[in-house]
Amino acid sequence: MTDIPDPIQQRLGLAPGTPPILALKGVSKYFPGVIANEAVDLEVYPGEIHALLGENGAGKSTLMNIVTGIYKMDAGEVIVEGEARDFGSPTDAIEAGIGMVHQHFKLVRAFTVAENIHLGWPDTPKRISRRVLEARTSALSDTLGLAVQPEAVVADLSTGEQQRVEILRVLARDAKLLILDEPTAVLTPEEARELFVALRAFVARGNAVIFISHKLDEVMEISNRVTVLRGGRKVATEWTERCSEKSLAQMMVGREIVLTEAGQRAPLPKDTPPCLSLANVSLTSDQGTVLKDISLDLRPGEILGIAGVAGNGQRELTYVMTGLATPSAGTITLDGKDVTRIGARAMAEKGIGHIPEDRLQSGMAPTLSITDNAVLREYGQPPLTRKGWFSPRGAGNLAREIAKAAEVMVPDFAMPARNLSGGNQQRLVARREMRIADKILIAAYPSRGLDVGAINTMMRYFVELRDQGVAVVLISEELEELMNFSDRIAVMFHGEIMGMVATEGADVEEIGLMMGGKRREVAA
Amino acid sequence: MSTIRLQRMPIAPARIALVLRLLSVVLALLTTAILLWATGRDPIALGAKVLSSTFGSSFGLEDLALLFSPLIYCGLAVAVALRIGAWNIGAEGQFNFGAFCATGIALFVPGPTWLMLPLMALAGMIGGALWILVPTLARAYADVSELITTLLMNFIAMLLVYWVATGPWLDPSGMALATTARLPVSVPPIWGIVHWGLPVAVMLAIALALVFTYTRWGYEVRIAGANPGAAAYAGMPVKRQLIAVMLLSGALAGLGGMMEAAGTVGRLQGGISNNYGYIGIMVAVLARAAPLGVLATAFFMAVILNGGIVLQSQGLTTHTVLAVTGLILLYAAIGDEAAHYKILRNKTGES
Repeated sequence: MTDIPDPIQQRLGLAPGTPPILALKGVSKYFPGVIANEAVDLEVYPGEIHALLGENGAGKSTLMNIVTGIYKMDAGEVIVEGEARDFGSPTDAIEAGIGMVHQHFKLVRAFTVAENIHLGWPDTPKRISRRVLEARTSALSDTLGLAVQPEAVVADLSTGEQQRVEILRVLARDAKLLILDEPTAVLTPEEARELFVALRAFVARGNAVIFISHKLDEVMEISNRVTVLRGGRKVATEWTERCSEKSLAQMMVGREIVLTEAGQRAPLPKDTPPCLSLANVSLTSDQGTVLKDISLDLRPGEILGIAGVAGNGQRELTYVMTGLATPSAGTITLDGKDVTRIGARAMAEKGIGHIPEDRLQSGMAPTLSITDNAVLREYGQPPLTRKGWFSPRGAGNLAREIAKAAEVMVPDFAMPARNLSGGNQQRLVARREMRIADKILIAAYPSRGLDVGAINTMMRYFVELRDQGVAVVLISEELEELMNFSDRIAVMFHGEIMGMVATEGADVEEIGLMMGGKRREVAA
Repeated sequence: MSTIRLQRMPIAPARIALVLRLLSVVLALLTTAILLWATGRDPIALGAKVLSSTFGSSFGLEDLALLFSPLIYCGLAVAVALRIGAWNIGAEGQFNFGAFCATGIALFVPGPTWLMLPLMALAGMIGGALWILVPTLARAYADVSELITTLLMNFIAMLLVYWVATGPWLDPSGMALATTARLPVSVPPIWGIVHWGLPVAVMLAIALALVFTYTRWGYEVRIAGANPGAAAYAGMPVKRQLIAVMLLSGALAGLGGMMEAAGTVGRLQGGISNNYGYIGIMVAVLARAAPLGVLATAFFMAVILNGGIVLQSQGLTTHTVLAVTGLILLYAAIGDEAAHYKILRNKTGES
């Protein structure tokens, strides 16, 4: 420690030498085959709102789960107010003054607000009446400046109100550092503004907030400093006022995007008629409007990239394109024929393959054998099925063929598919789908769980399919992947297409901005 | 310093799983023996008595076969539903209602035996399917748990049978309580008092095993049962399959009821189902929903049930048998889980 006044403390108006509330030094966390976090340093001082920015899978949540004791780190140090700590559970963390509000609330829906606030809190008296509980809750609500109705049942509250209860629950336990995981994802703009007011008041009392987000505008608005994570590593920590949405986008998606030509290819004639067309397609689900007025044309022999932060409607887009969901408005045409409501089987039979994003939930039956999983697309045709009779031997042959093409070593085809590694499951599913994709292949995050070599192999297959005249829809969060392999890139945000750019000459920063919700002015 | 650690493996080796299964049966019997011994009885003598009464005479074997048969029907019913991920707790009710429908045909429709028997079998199957129809539709279209609805339907069917057997269909001879008159047609015997219900059940088990392995439909049911999401993804009609399989499940239990009324008992009486529907759940679970496995576990449960009757004649209550079956299921569940673990001995290195 030196005696030179630290500019950070000075700029935050703190006494020189004030220690950070939380300091991380070289924190690393590895999951089998995946680097979740590596050598992350982070300091959070009293009085600051510190944004943690990064794409999905950049390691933001893992890092905070380490801080709050949900995960054990593999290397590094967590220092809380000058003391090295290694929390065994969130309970330990909250005792040390660190509380986290997760994206999915951890409230008991059938209990009242007052009951939820006092649940599992050592300060709650053993015997206490409902009236006292509610009075204590009102008092807390007043001192901490978070308005809640103590007697209301949580299930009846709006998401914004539930979030306030969740925050109050953490603050009531004297948290000095509040960690919020994408808090505005569930809020209306009005509720978000209220939240920001409450957060500013909280840090003004000498506390600190870590604000996890991938929304650039919010980060610009609320934070004092911002730390950007990419691929589990820290890219930079900056004063927010020195950043712009552009520079943040660049840091978030990565500077070193190298444009490499994806093999020699014949130029696509401009007037090629589209094979699949979506016209003003919308989809409404329990969550509301998940796809809004999407129009796009897919031409044979092109790779169309879909960029965007996961959860912005990409999954639903794959569903309507593969017949798994019927749009609530709009039409889908395949080779000029209306296929809006023909269903998943007919779409597959017409030559549309689908590598789903959640292969364990929908692409496979993990408890069944590898053989059963490998033949999921072709089980109903000869030689597997003749006149309704299914040939297990034929299925075994096809499974071996697919595994061989996918370069997956299978010791025992009767083994449940869940015993394969994630990467091998992905390769099997990809091969299975490529076999039926005569016209179109919809690939959602195909490189997830694969190592670099396997990603290259898979992308080479996609390029081969493209060269054979198959249209490939490539959904990815890896902008580099999209830039390298797609002909055009559409950017999705909140169920809408923000814009479509030709990859050649595309501006990465502009794509980053569209991913954060900025609409492209001129259509490509 | 060496420590012992347990490591969970993703699949249980089949050999270890089988050994633990057998061990769980031994442990259940051992627990029962200890309890019997603690209450001042001689477990070894009782065990010997059970074995000699069951296997030592053709009477014992015939009784065993008569218990075996309904357990196959009910076990298959539950197993078939499990294949598509549904819990048919209502085999008891479907069994009763199947027996009721078959009896109705036998009592009120005149006709030659060669026509009557298939007609009654059909009525039994339709009855069983009808009894699971509402729970099936509720599960398929309103996502109502079939576990509760099928269970509740049991009580209705059971009370219905009690009512007709003591009321409108009561044996007019005045000699009997809570039973109908002897049915004019009966399932012909094949060996002693054992009737054709048993070979039909065995053939059904074999046929179902073939259907599940060697038909496209069997494959689709397998996928839909293991992961409805994957079935929908492949474009399979998941709802239609669920409905078809659950109705088949009900029909199997209903046919069991018909065989019981028209074969074993020869009339419809209150409590004709004798808990076969509930024990069928255990049969199916122990067989891991495999039709051929049902043959083995149904036989095993039949031995236990028959043992229970013998024990009753020695002054023990029927609850002893229920306790034994419960213990077996408990130990089997523990054994299945334990089969996943490997014991590792390793030296502790750095902490």
